[in-house]
Amino acid sequence: MNLWRDIKGTLQPFWVTLGYLFKKPVTIQYPEEKRTPPPRYRARIVLTCNPDGSERCVACQLCSAACPVNCISMQAAEAADGRRYAAWFRINFSRCIFCGLCTEACPTMAIQTTPDYEICNRDVLKLVHEKEDLLIDGCGKDTEYNFYEHSGIGVVNERGGNEDEYGPVDPKSLLP
Amino acid sequence: MPKLTIDNLEVTVPEGTNVLEAACALDIAIPHFCYHEALGAVGSCRLCAMMFTDGPVKGLQMACMVKAQDGMVVSSTHPDAMELREHVIEWAMTNHPHDCPVCDEGGECQLQEMTVAGGHSKRRFRGKKATFTNQDLGPFIQQEMNRCITCYRCVRTYRDYCGGTDYGVLGSRNRIFYGRFQEGKLESPFSGNIIDACPTGVLTSKPFRFKTRLWDLQEAPSICPHCSLGCAIVPGGRYREVQRVRAGINRETNGFFICDRGRFGYDHVNHPERPRQPRIGGQPVALETALDAVRDRIAVLVEAHGPNSIAFLGSSRASLEANALLRDWASAYGSEQLAYEAHQGRDYAARTLAARVGGHACSLGDLRQSDLIILFGADPLAEGPMLAVAIRQAVRGGAKVVTIDPRPVELPCTTLHIPLPASRLPELLAALGSGDLSAFDAQERATFAPLLDQIKAARRPAMVGGADLLGGQGIAALCSAAADLSTASRAVGVMALLGGPNSYGGALLAGDGPGFDTLLDAIQERTVRALVCLESDPFCEALDPARAQAALGHLELLVCIDSTPSLAAQRADIFLPSRANAEMSGSYINNEGRLQEFLPVIDPGLPIKVTGAGDHPPREFFQTTPGSAPAADWWLLAKLLERATILAELRKTMAKYDERFSMLSFLAAGTTGLRLPVKVALPPVADRGLPHADGSDNQTLLATTGPLGSHWLAHLSAPLAATEPQPYVCLHPDFAAALGLASGDRARLTTRFGHCHVEVRLSAQMVSGLVLAPQLWDTALEGLAPGSLHDCRLEKEARA
Repeated sequence: MNLWRDIKGTLQPFWVTLGYLFKKPVTIQYPEEKRTPPPRYRARIVLTCNPDGSERCVACQLCSAACPVNCISMQAAEAADGRRYAAWFRINFSRCIFCGLCTEACPTMAIQTTPDYEICNRDVLKLVHEKEDLLIDGCGKDTEYNFYEHSGIGVVNERGGNEDEYGPVDPKSLLP
Repeated sequence: MPKLTIDNLEVTVPEGTNVLEAACALDIAIPHFCYHEALGAVGSCRLCAMMFTDGPVKGLQMACMVKAQDGMVVSSTHPDAMELREHVIEWAMTNHPHDCPVCDEGGECQLQEMTVAGGHSKRRFRGKKATFTNQDLGPFIQQEMNRCITCYRCVRTYRDYCGGTDYGVLGSRNRIFYGRFQEGKLESPFSGNIIDACPTGVLTSKPFRFKTRLWDLQEAPSICPHCSLGCAIVPGGRYREVQRVRAGINRETNGFFICDRGRFGYDHVNHPERPRQPRIGGQPVALETALDAVRDRIAVLVEAHGPNSIAFLGSSRASLEANALLRDWASAYGSEQLAYEAHQGRDYAARTLAARVGGHACSLGDLRQSDLIILFGADPLAEGPMLAVAIRQAVRGGAKVVTIDPRPVELPCTTLHIPLPASRLPELLAALGSGDLSAFDAQERATFAPLLDQIKAARRPAMVGGADLLGGQGIAALCSAAADLSTASRAVGVMALLGGPNSYGGALLAGDGPGFDTLLDAIQERTVRALVCLESDPFCEALDPARAQAALGHLELLVCIDSTPSLAAQRADIFLPSRANAEMSGSYINNEGRLQEFLPVIDPGLPIKVTGAGDHPPREFFQTTPGSAPAADWWLLAKLLERATILAELRKTMAKYDERFSMLSFLAAGTTGLRLPVKVALPPVADRGLPHADGSDNQTLLATTGPLGSHWLAHLSAPLAATEPQPYVCLHPDFAAALGLASGDRARLTTRFGHCHVEVRLSAQMVSGLVLAPQLWDTALEGLAPGSLHDCRLEKEARA
């Protein structure tokens, strides 16, 4: 009985392999052939811009706090108009595990993942992307949101200039 | 001692405790905003609601407003209490902006915590939010009024606790606004405390603005290096720079708050000119080379000229461990030339205090409970700012405060000021001690006799002296007077404001060794040929800098261990970079003999903002951190002595051979510290007074410590630059009139250090016939060591 089992075990894999010779392959000939990943695929991370073209990132460090491998670092700074922005912003893609937690943490929709997965490099330093490498000219997946128009502190619009607030009060008023 | 039940747990608390405190004692977290241990309860935030189910009080009550009583049964989880808390936090959030990502409070925001604790998670309010126009409150405080939840904590801290007058609350209903009546810099030297007090992001630190989110900040309990009070601080650092300091909690010293010098005086650690490389003759070398050079060159000098040709100067800035190792080093060679403070007056004051104060030593915590405080030649705002806040708390409790000083002494409370020349302070102290005021004229007797009666009648009196003006003799007189005025039923407390955070530790180690002026004489006579300076700058800190500079020119070898770009560091033949106290472990002994430990916050290194020039860090990688050569002062000395470079081992050795430091092994950072009960030998009698140049029409100038920003470490801190005053002199109005000067005039001050253009300020609290000038670095007033007297000429200048 053992002999029959051994013969079957030797021949059956050849039969299976033979069968696949006549089926359409599931793999593709990368890099000659390329596959288009779905739009929500988590690969290269980008920094997007507001609909008005200004930088979305406010350097709140929530992405770096959420990052399980600590591959994001940045320094916040204040612009002349009071806007908080990233003086520098660095993602070390040699560490990144493309988990997408940074995009979930981002309160301004600035940091987003894109389907561009081709970022391999033999030089590790080339995998350390700075802000100018990360910034893209566009809103990415969210085409409407502008954080400073909802934040409730007068930066982009003056005090009371946003939809959901009154103009500044006069604390010296004696009216009831 | 009432016993009550909270959430089925029984607790016994002291009389007068409120139910919220009792719950905290059981580690039951009740959301609250307005209650603060130092500020008390006002019951305005309505958040600490608890259900009183049985006992003397019943129903839904604010826990902070109900005193704990026997038999109370309280529930913090009753559905009604929880629902009320949820609604209250929802109201607090109605106008709060959604800007947490750009708010500097994020990470230690109590509003975030209380919102979660209160159970409010979804915004139901659809109306519009109120907005406010912010004020510019000066270089320290950033205001964002839209975030305010009107808890009143800032006003209670600023006005009630710290005694500021220029910040308050305006408006009614939802127009409540906290700020100044007119936009401008906050005047109180304790203004930074409102940053800590504000539970949300209305008041945040301007120098720290947008630097770091708080979860990224490396923090550790530390001790403030700016004055001798030893306040608990918590510095925070990131990217190889110290970025902020917040108040630590030590109920025996500072309590919950710190002064602006401590809070914004951290930047000396990141100073751009800080020397970070060991140097021999100005040339950078490896650390081992420099250490070998120190050993070799000292050995050569010892062999040629004997052990006493090497002098050692410790410092009140260096850790106790390093100062002790310096003593060991000196005794290893057999050198007796060892002093611990370049300023001889402060040195003798500290040593006398350490020898004489005994059981009279009084902490800031004790001082807050005093009912009579008399300050002899002590100016708290300059020499130990948190003392002023402690005095204010005593005054709020009904205490009387008397200041006896040649200078005007400003305190954030009502005081009685008696102008008296510094030279007469020891005389007065002796007279008060003996009860014999016959040495004073009738008018003075009429002032001091009631004071004597007040001291005798007081139940918890305290006498405070300043080392600068009193010196060794004055402090001895202070301690004697306190001993004489103490009775069996109550002791008179003594506190002295010393030169630096570890003056007391240096004094314990110095014992009856020589003063620095004796060392200078020996250097002048060439019997001392080498000087080792441990974090001290004899060129600037000596009582007579001109004499020090002349004498130090004769040295064959100057070894300097320092963390600041001091003159000694620049001129040293061999320089060893040390770490600032935020970068190392160690301990200080504060002015009441309290041994306290500090821990490192960051490792030394050139800040990222320097290596990256403001942009991203350089895209290159090294094995070592740039600028990381500085080592802890005790590490360098242990290396030089060829001992184990392990702090615990060094402490063990210290504790073993010196019973006064036996507590070192039990030291823990972030605690109240350990009070040392010790006696040391008295120092030799100090030779007070400085040479006066002759000149019949000249005036006498008394040099003092300048206000907030004018101390050496504070001077190196960029955020404090705004508070550093322009050179000024202070005069009595009568004296000014005699000189033909008026308030606000420009004058030309000539001292033996040179000319200086000064502004004339007048104060009726001054002693007449005296010109008062602060020591200000990088000006012609730099050489004015606090407490010294100089001849000067003050001439009016025509207005430009």
